[in-house]
Amino acid sequence: MSRYMVNKVMWEVDRSEDALAAFKADPRAYLESWEALATRPISPYPEGGSLTASEREALTARDYGALYVMGVNPFLLWQFARSVSVPDEMGIEGLITSFREAVEPHGYPEFFT
Amino acid sequence: MAELVGVLGVTHNPLMWGILRESVPDDMTGVVANFDRFRSLVSDLTPDVVVLVASDHFHMLMMANMPAFMIGKAPEMRAAHPSEVRQFGLPPSRVSGDPELASHMLGGRHLAGGLDFAFSDEPWLDHSFLIPLLFLTPELEIPVVPIFTNCNAPPLPTSTRFAELGTYLGEAIRSYPGERRVLVVGSGHLAHELGGPRQFLGTSPDPDFDRMAVSWMAAGDLDAALAVTSFDRLTEAGNESYQFLNFITCMAVAEGRPAVFAEGTPTRFGNLPFFAWETR
Repeated sequence: MSRYMVNKVMWEVDRSEDALAAFKADPRAYLESWEALATRPISPYPEGGSLTASEREALTARDYGALYVMGVNPFLLWQFARSVSVPDEMGIEGLITSFREAVEPHGYPEFFT
Repeated sequence: MAELVGVLGVTHNPLMWGILRESVPDDMTGVVANFDRFRSLVSDLTPDVVVLVASDHFHMLMMANMPAFMIGKAPEMRAAHPSEVRQFGLPPSRVSGDPELASHMLGGRHLAGGLDFAFSDEPWLDHSFLIPLLFLTPELEIPVVPIFTNCNAPPLPTSTRFAELGTYLGEAIRSYPGERRVLVVGSGHLAHELGGPRQFLGTSPDPDFDRMAVSWMAAGDLDAALAVTSFDRLTEAGNESYQFLNFITCMAVAEGRPAVFAEGTPTRFGNLPFFAWETR
């Protein structure tokens, strides 16, 4: 498990409009192509990365509770959740409620990388 | 010689921007009044440059390259990132820099002081910089030296280190041989949470912390502030409260003077910080 890699993919989805559109259209395919970037022998900069099966699953399912308890950065998680879920899937108020329900049982996991 | 004309500390909550563009709701009238007051202070102080201490939120900086403290020394900078334009309606902007003053702070061929700053020749300012500028200098006409502090990706500098940063910045400003009227602005939060169970509660996640923090500023009690502001205590106040430490930097720039204005202004987002120090 790498908290950094999960943070990195959430960061890229939030910061790039193209990545956000691709992730929203097909999260599994986006993650697959993101992981493939990291296997190229030569890259202009360290693109992509590798994820474990459970990390891939939590990202694909937008399981914010599972991601939170893994110790991803809370700020990056919220930005990611807001970008992928609002406004297409729900309004901000709906996300605030469902996000709180997802993370509340887990208290404050350590999020150092 | 350069002159330190004042020190301010303000909130950078980006959700205010969209809300206040429409009309002023009841819970935000205090914030609007304080920004009016501070904007008029800035006009009276007639600064030539703003040294702005703020914390990028993974917009320019990510964990592949995470400096503790970084000085931006470009002549011109972008401000507002695409996700901030989309989520907060921030205006994509350009801000002038002050490469000469920034380079003096860094120290020329060798890094000065004991802080070992990182530097950037192409800083890109996020809302932690742009929100204070939009409210204090709406025309964005005053050049800015951005000081990036890591408050978001642990391991983080200690609160003592933030005080040392302030002491260093004060000395570097006063020792700059060029003619400048320099205003220092810190950007941060009181008790604040984002991405945890206590976000968007409609009130502060830790009113006791807020009261203590405002009293440190009003008394100029840096020692008391340093004694309390550990990672664990700040996290207890909310998982984003570490950005309070930018105000510890402000206290140290002001050399322990009591703030002439210190308030945690209540809003739906909790208590929003407004601090002002006179330096003459």
